[in-house]
Amino acid sequence: MENNLLYHVYFDCGLTTKEEVHTFISEMVCQEDPSQQEEIINQLNDRDMAGSTLIAEHVMLPHIESDKIKKSQIMFIRLANPILSWNWQTKDIRLLIVILLKENEDEQVKKRISSFTRTLADEAYLSRLLNCSDEETLNKEIKKT
Amino acid sequence: MKIVGVAACTVGIAHTYIAQEKLENAGKKAGHEISVETQGTIGTESELTQEQIAEADIVIIAADVKIAGRERFEGKRIIQVTTEIAVKSPNKLIEKAVEVVNQKN
Repeated sequence: MENNLLYHVYFDCGLTTKEEVHTFISEMVCQEDPSQQEEIINQLNDRDMAGSTLIAEHVMLPHIESDKIKKSQIMFIRLANPILSWNWQTKDIRLLIVILLKENEDEQVKKRISSFTRTLADEAYLSRLLNCSDEETLNKEIKKT
Repeated sequence: MKIVGVAACTVGIAHTYIAQEKLENAGKKAGHEISVETQGTIGTESELTQEQIAEADIVIIAADVKIAGRERFEGKRIIQVTTEIAVKSPNKLIEKAVEVVNQKN
């Protein structure tokens, strides 16, 4: 199975608010059907409101499972400048790791994603991802499961 | 000390597995024997055995949803938190578990 099909890196993204991030994700997900963007944004907002997706200082992990997602993927969004205020309690966000799971996804793909997710428990690894100075380095650092 | 746990989050693809890893790492680092079952989008993995549950001094449930098989822990001392707590403060959670067990003794 092609690893590169699952992982996408967006480096130096000029997104400045949570709303811009959610819109960006929806645009990437719904390239073939922009009419579905609003639903993706709603789902991301719902997940965000259900509980914090902050997994380490400066790092967020937005994630949804949706029938609007045609292909499961993991997006790395490294921001050009930190989002100083994500919401009232979450500040200074620099890296977003976004998990987008297609509804009724194949079990093998789910297992690959869960294996990848487990790697995010390693704070030293997250710190390396956070401090990559260029896209190539970030791509090399990602533990592609 | 012997600890068992269950991790389960809403979507079942992210916090469940990070919580499991973090709890197991924090528990082992503190010198405890720990096993955490995950109830995620794949289903149940690392399922706890009856023996593990019987021998456990405490149960940690890190969940944002109702877990399956909670009745297995009847009569055991249980700490229940959200996955967010397990992800953000695993060491403190293990310390709390030790505190609770010591209070019991």
